[in-house]
Amino acid sequence: MDQVTESKVIGVATPRIDGPLKVSGSAMYASDHHFPGLLYAWPVCATISNGTIAHLDTAGAEKMPGVVAVYHRENIGKLYRVPPSTGFTLILDEKRPPLEDDTIRYYGQYVAVAVAQTVEQARAAAESVKVTYNKEKPDTGEKLLGTPLTTDKPDEKSKRGDTAAALQAAKVKVDAVYRIPVETHNPIELHASVAVFDGKKYTLYETSQAVVNHRDVMAQMLGVPTEQVQVITRFLGSGFGGKLWPWPHGLLAAACARNLGRPVKLVVSRQMMFESVGHRPAIDQRIQLAADADGKLTAVQQDYVNHTSMLDDYNEGCGEITPFLYSTPNLLVTGGLVRRNVGNPTAMRGPGAVPGLFALESAMDELAIALKMDPVQLRLKNEPALDESLNIPFSSRHMKECLTVGSEKFGWAKRTPEIGSMKRDGLTLGWGMAACSWLAARIETEATVELLQDGSARVACGTQDIGGGTYTVMAQVVSHETGIPVNRVDVVLGDSSLPPGPISGGSWVTASMTPAVLAASQNAGKALVLAAIKSDGSPFKGKKPEDLELVDGTVRLKGQQQGAVPMAEILRIAKVNSVSGTGKSDSTFGAAKPKVSFHSYGAQFAEVTWQPEIARLRVSRVVTVIDAGRILNPRPARNQIEGAVVMGVGMALFEETMYDPRSGAPINNNLADYVVAVNADTPEIDVTFLDYPDYQLNALGARGVGEIGLAGIASAITNAVYHATGVRVRDLPVRIEDLLVPANRTTHLA
Amino acid sequence: MGAAGVATAATAVTPLAVSAAIAETQERTVPQAQAITGTMPVTLKVNGQSHSVQIDPRATLLDTLRETLHLTGTKKGCDHGQCGACTVHINGRRVNSCLTFAGMQQNVEITTIEGLGQPGHLHPMQEAFVEHDGFQCGYCTSGQIMSAVAMVKEPWGTLDSDVKEAMSGNICRCGAYPNIVAAVQAVRRMA
Repeated sequence: MDQVTESKVIGVATPRIDGPLKVSGSAMYASDHHFPGLLYAWPVCATISNGTIAHLDTAGAEKMPGVVAVYHRENIGKLYRVPPSTGFTLILDEKRPPLEDDTIRYYGQYVAVAVAQTVEQARAAAESVKVTYNKEKPDTGEKLLGTPLTTDKPDEKSKRGDTAAALQAAKVKVDAVYRIPVETHNPIELHASVAVFDGKKYTLYETSQAVVNHRDVMAQMLGVPTEQVQVITRFLGSGFGGKLWPWPHGLLAAACARNLGRPVKLVVSRQMMFESVGHRPAIDQRIQLAADADGKLTAVQQDYVNHTSMLDDYNEGCGEITPFLYSTPNLLVTGGLVRRNVGNPTAMRGPGAVPGLFALESAMDELAIALKMDPVQLRLKNEPALDESLNIPFSSRHMKECLTVGSEKFGWAKRTPEIGSMKRDGLTLGWGMAACSWLAARIETEATVELLQDGSARVACGTQDIGGGTYTVMAQVVSHETGIPVNRVDVVLGDSSLPPGPISGGSWVTASMTPAVLAASQNAGKALVLAAIKSDGSPFKGKKPEDLELVDGTVRLKGQQQGAVPMAEILRIAKVNSVSGTGKSDSTFGAAKPKVSFHSYGAQFAEVTWQPEIARLRVSRVVTVIDAGRILNPRPARNQIEGAVVMGVGMALFEETMYDPRSGAPINNNLADYVVAVNADTPEIDVTFLDYPDYQLNALGARGVGEIGLAGIASAITNAVYHATGVRVRDLPVRIEDLLVPANRTTHLA
Repeated sequence: MGAAGVATAATAVTPLAVSAAIAETQERTVPQAQAITGTMPVTLKVNGQSHSVQIDPRATLLDTLRETLHLTGTKKGCDHGQCGACTVHINGRRVNSCLTFAGMQQNVEITTIEGLGQPGHLHPMQEAFVEHDGFQCGYCTSGQIMSAVAMVKEPWGTLDSDVKEAMSGNICRCGAYPNIVAAVQAVRRMA
């Protein structure tokens, strides 16, 4: 494919084209939609996490003012399951349709739904539904490793050499268990569904990171043909993975709209969002590293177990990065699942890699200490020449440069390794670092570009902009190819009726969407050239297509500036409103035998300040260097990385969903008790993009930046905490009480 | 009603804004076509305009703005006064609209993000948020901006750390905080 090297718009910091809508409250998110006759639905949530419904009494609720209906298992009507699928279609995590049976498997599971004229009436009615339960003892146990798995033995995820023998023979070893608690996505936009049913067709305004999959799943579960469902997510208040796949509330809203023949709005409350729309599962990981005396890794073993729900298998995939990050002759990654009475876990920003790298990069820090070696040097020493897990080359890997540039920007050379040895303004400093990586991929994408007589262009693709800047980047690609200014490109996305586009997950929208949009732009240009040579009155009539070129929004004879005609003028001469082109991008994701290893890389450096007198720990500074291919729009890209660092501060220091072992309820189910990083928690953040195009992935050389910024941050921070305090925190988040133990003690022994 | 500004202001903005605004116009019909049992009359003054509507007595100011007046720029993120997404001004001061009943706010001046400025004639703080990329998904942004506009008039110091403290009641889960601080400081320096 042709490589795009020069561009007036690609790589240029471009303000978001959706900015004016977002700052004025005009951008329409799912729950902003309103229709005549709209009703409000409010779910009734189970108050046990294991057992069955003994009795459900809706009589009182049904008589309340404004109440239109109360639905439960017996009257909700038919809802189906999706068939098993191979490939990347019909995905949802919680496969049981809501209200399917009377068994309760997690706290907050929907048992009924009240529908009324106002949201207050619906909520009051839902709270008046009387439910009694046959309650059994729930299991939300936090300890995972060593408890019964869903399978006889763990799955082998990656294997090479003889890891057991190498660990046995090792000169220097690390063997430790690292734990990640349940983390909850908590996008500020509540999950919501506004369902409109006209007797045949469903129009569903959803909070979805994947409108096409959402449509396909909803059609299956509602039992109608795909063309009778349209899913719209024009703007999404982010999702971080929690809005990738449909959740039960969407089915409730659609079923209510179907049953009543009126539009229904269901907004999931913040409390419910800790129960029934997914979370990053609790994860235990045992890491064993072995190295020779000069720091060359001889063995890496990672054994992880994550919890999943009672009915569905969600695998966190913590071994995603481990097999190729470092050179080692011997490696083993295993994974297993344990069942708990919790709602279904789901992908949360950087699934697998983020928790996996917390463990691996913490262990690498421990290994560096055991070796009395600089942690940056340890990583440089173990840089692989190729992807040793598959014996294939990397498409474009600049990990060493990430490490060296990061060291320089951070001032790493001034670090003294002794614990608590660095001071500033009366504070003890801790400096830690970690390497990071995240996959790069294309998935199948189609796009259409139209060139219009009014001089504008329109690009359509059934993907989403969840805050990453997709609207703007799509306009940039069209502008690059056609010469039409970015502010004259109308971008249409977030609608399942458009050409099918990528899910907003995996950090792959940019890599997948741009080649399709580029090809569509080129094909629209060809259609324009055809109009130029075929239309009466055109100065180019009778020329051959190869005689003409499109430059800066004009059609002209090759190499001749004189006589150039604006594209719009050609369309006026031809008396057509628009010409269009379609483009497609194929998939690299999940290839059976990949020839190239596509990933992004980075290095994270963190500084913490520690005041032992008052046990006050702050993250003061982060330097992050990212090798994520060519950055198409540095403004939103930088924002993504900074935001991921902020989330990483929360992951390291604050975030943990806690379950009451008696009821199985997530007890800190609100934004005061589940603490996320706020403005005052934000460190000084220095982001560098290496900006090496990955032309093997696409013509623009773009990969993606949505997730890699969070990878490695938590371990960079806990490694810094160790450097400041001597306390190795292996059990996130870092709690004050962890740091009150005497120095050189660990909080979580393997 | 109050949403009229959205559609009419669209002429001066990018094609994206035009297509989005036109597509939604038809949905934003006059609210309250039919009487709803158990509701009570209230008169609210929002963005300089008086609205006499029937609401559920339990309705918060937030739900009334969104569901009855269809001023959906004000967002719900927690309904508990914990996230700041619903921040509006009452007599010029920032307030979490989820923590007050609409019925209690009948004799005050309420300002929402729609009243601050619209595409084509944005408030300087809105301009600054675009210029400094002070958001990603945009959902908390209305609350951030309403909070920021009020904060500028409050007795805070001049440092970035003052802005960070003053703006910490508004959660941005996307973590656009560095750019939010830059936007607020740019406006404070202009003032």
